[in-house]
Amino acid sequence: MVEKIWQKRQKKKWLRLLRSGDHEAFGEFIDKYKETVFLCSRRLGLSADEAEDVASETFLAAYKAIGRYSGQAELSTWLWSIAYRQGINYLRKNRKEWQLEAEQDEQVGDSKEQGPAEAVQSRETEQIVWDAVERLPRLWAMAVILYYREEKSIIDIAKIMQIKENTVKTYLFRGRDKLKQILAAAFKEDIGSGR
Amino acid sequence: MAGKLNEDKFDEMLGKSLRRHSEPVPVDFTERMLKQIEEAEQRRILRRVVLQERLSLAGCIVFGVLAAVGILVFPGRIAGILRGIRAGFAERGGALVDGIGESISVEAIRSEWQLYIILALVLVLAFVCVLDMLVGEKLRTA
Repeated sequence: MVEKIWQKRQKKKWLRLLRSGDHEAFGEFIDKYKETVFLCSRRLGLSADEAEDVASETFLAAYKAIGRYSGQAELSTWLWSIAYRQGINYLRKNRKEWQLEAEQDEQVGDSKEQGPAEAVQSRETEQIVWDAVERLPRLWAMAVILYYREEKSIIDIAKIMQIKENTVKTYLFRGRDKLKQILAAAFKEDIGSGR
Repeated sequence: MAGKLNEDKFDEMLGKSLRRHSEPVPVDFTERMLKQIEEAEQRRILRRVVLQERLSLAGCIVFGVLAAVGILVFPGRIAGILRGIRAGFAERGGALVDGIGESISVEAIRSEWQLYIILALVLVLAFVCVLDMLVGEKLRTA
């Protein structure tokens, strides 16, 4: 109990420092969330270099806006929103062929020729699951990651992705369904090949 | 019931597996990012200083131009104002500033054409300064 109160106070103090533009606090902030920001960029289909550019832009935007962070939303949710927006803006600017609609993406996801057996050979469960998520359409994958990995609520996901809550539910439902199919096939192949 | 159990198990497995995944990040990303932020901050401060300098320069130029135009267009009124100021100071016993009104005698300025030439040169210079301040940078970088 005492430890919780202490942690809460420390977090408040840290947030105050962060809002005041303290470099050390911002360094900690980057360390804590850089993986999340890279994850977001990469899941939007950006290359490693592009993801780094978007991550830089995201943290710069966060640095400029941190003074206005009200604390109503969780800090990670707030940063996810910025990262997602930056990623989408990057894609809009640099990739004309990129489509926002999940249905368009679905065809891309389905058209991958790589069979589940090839993709999952000698991999551990986590890697198999991650590979399966990567085969999902981008927006479905994003919703699945935010829900299952980041443990965000439907409302928060809707805010981050700037879509309706019902759309988030649809993405999650379809994503989960598709994952089941991919994973069932993958594990079957895995077992079939004697692993 | 068994279906529900399987669903829960699937969700659990999914969550666990996804949480274990770590996304590769360049090793020195934080340091580079902090450096970038520091540079951006310095640029912002520099921009603000330059803007302040430009504003004060513009203020000086505008004030100078207004003063010159005022002297040329309303010599009588300006002389009157200065005399009034001098009288005010004199009344309060300001002996030090007693000569200000006399030193800027507009009638004397009018009779000296050389002064007009100097004033014209100053105006041209002020105009060039303002032009450089407003569009100079754009022209140089174009």
